[in-house]
Amino acid sequence: MRLRPLLGLLLLLLLPVAGAGELAVVVRQDSEIGQLRRDDVINIFLGRYRQLPSGKLAEPLDLTPESGTFYERLTGKSRAEINAYWARLLFTGRTTPPRQIDSQEKLIDTLLKNPQAIGYIDSTRLDRRLRVIFEPER
Amino acid sequence: MPTIAQAEENEASSRFSLNGFGTLGMTRSSSNGAGFVRDLSQPHGSKGEWSANVDSLIGLQANWVLNDQLTVIAQGISRYHIGSSYDPELMWGFVRYDPNGYSSFRLGRLATDFYMYADSRHVGYTYLTVRPSTDYFGVLPFAHIDGADAQWTLPIGDLLLRTRIHGGWLNEKLPLAEHSWNLQGSRMLGGNVSLQSGAWTVRLSSSQLKFGHNLPIDDLTNGLKQTGAPSALAAARALDVADSTSRFDSLGAVYDEGPWQVQFMVSRARHSSQSFQNWQSGYFLAGYRVGSLTPFAGYSWIRSKARSLSTGLPGGNPFDELNAGVALVLSDSHADQHTTSLGLRWDFRENMDLKIQFDAIRGKPDSIFPFRNESSNWNGRTNVLTMVMDFVF
Repeated sequence: MRLRPLLGLLLLLLLPVAGAGELAVVVRQDSEIGQLRRDDVINIFLGRYRQLPSGKLAEPLDLTPESGTFYERLTGKSRAEINAYWARLLFTGRTTPPRQIDSQEKLIDTLLKNPQAIGYIDSTRLDRRLRVIFEPER
Repeated sequence: MPTIAQAEENEASSRFSLNGFGTLGMTRSSSNGAGFVRDLSQPHGSKGEWSANVDSLIGLQANWVLNDQLTVIAQGISRYHIGSSYDPELMWGFVRYDPNGYSSFRLGRLATDFYMYADSRHVGYTYLTVRPSTDYFGVLPFAHIDGADAQWTLPIGDLLLRTRIHGGWLNEKLPLAEHSWNLQGSRMLGGNVSLQSGAWTVRLSSSQLKFGHNLPIDDLTNGLKQTGAPSALAAARALDVADSTSRFDSLGAVYDEGPWQVQFMVSRARHSSQSFQNWQSGYFLAGYRVGSLTPFAGYSWIRSKARSLSTGLPGGNPFDELNAGVALVLSDSHADQHTTSLGLRWDFRENMDLKIQFDAIRGKPDSIFPFRNESSNWNGRTNVLTMVMDFVF
């Protein structure tokens, strides 16, 4: 039990990841989903399309407490603007917003269960079960 | 964001969710010369007094996601419309099939999608302004079709190309003075192409309507026919709307980046029936967000070209009445005005906003098409003040 935080700390030192408070877009380590460009991430998270180069469907996941920051960094839009955007897609029957997940633990669990799922977490929470495919800050 | 009430977390199982939206609004036009309406589906508008009818409405939507490919959606809206009632109507009711992540097919009742943003005209929360521009969208009272549409999305490098085609039949009635005009069975076909690149989206749309029924002016057209004069007969035929076609073309550009929201759209309508005047319209809108406040400013216009139609009947009794009737029908679809708008949207809490908007409408006295119940003192000028609260849930 006490090994986990230590391991996390070790990983943090080893991996060339950004510092605390930064968000990384991640998938399950063995997911077919490769590196994504900013436009791909925007298009998938804004529901413009969900098709991946492999032909499979991506399933974007929103991390509720962080979603405002995530979209702000990705698109420069406020949470209210993103909400209005989704309301348009939802109420014109186009598509539904990404599934809302309220904690990093649950998000990681969901990612581990589904190789098509794409989520974002604080980069301090990365571990070897997950793979970074995009960093909004970069 | 509207939260999806999921029955279960298991993604393989079907998911049912219920969401809604609404607007509580008070609208007041300053002139008692003509009734200001949100669009021509409303029989009465604000005529110098506060009205809650113009902008208030409520909608409820059920989404049933059967699996990755199949979704069933039904949306009902209660708003002020024909019959001066709030009778709920089915706005959307369809099955959507998404064979892959790029294409989508829908069958059932679909909201009309003439111009960019026209299919969410009732969801105030999705609009920066209190309502879609009345000069631009208000003269399009057709809310939904029973039919089908197909959409394809194609990423090309950094561009996103989207194509959509739709077809079906109109299914509603429109208020027209004391009568109603039956649109049922009118056929609509159309399509649009949009190109998205970064913050920019440009969309070209075209739709054609073939009407199923004449305007409720039988008294006039029968009167013309009974004269037996070939020129009067020709005039009666020219006023026929049944089997005539109307075409609506539009070009829209949107810039949406960071705190900026900028929209520019132009359109034109061409009608083969002499009962309607061809028009051109457009609007420009810009908003800049500062924290939770977004002040915005807009300018819009609509201008139509007067038609002339001679009955060939001489003056004097009993023909004066017929000539006057034809002149009335021809003048009824005239529009020549522009609107300057200023407003503020305040996203005061999650999924709710408050807006205040001032519109200065400046037109000619003969610009009556976008209004209801004109009086003889209508001078084409009115100011409209609106306060609304929008919400989604």
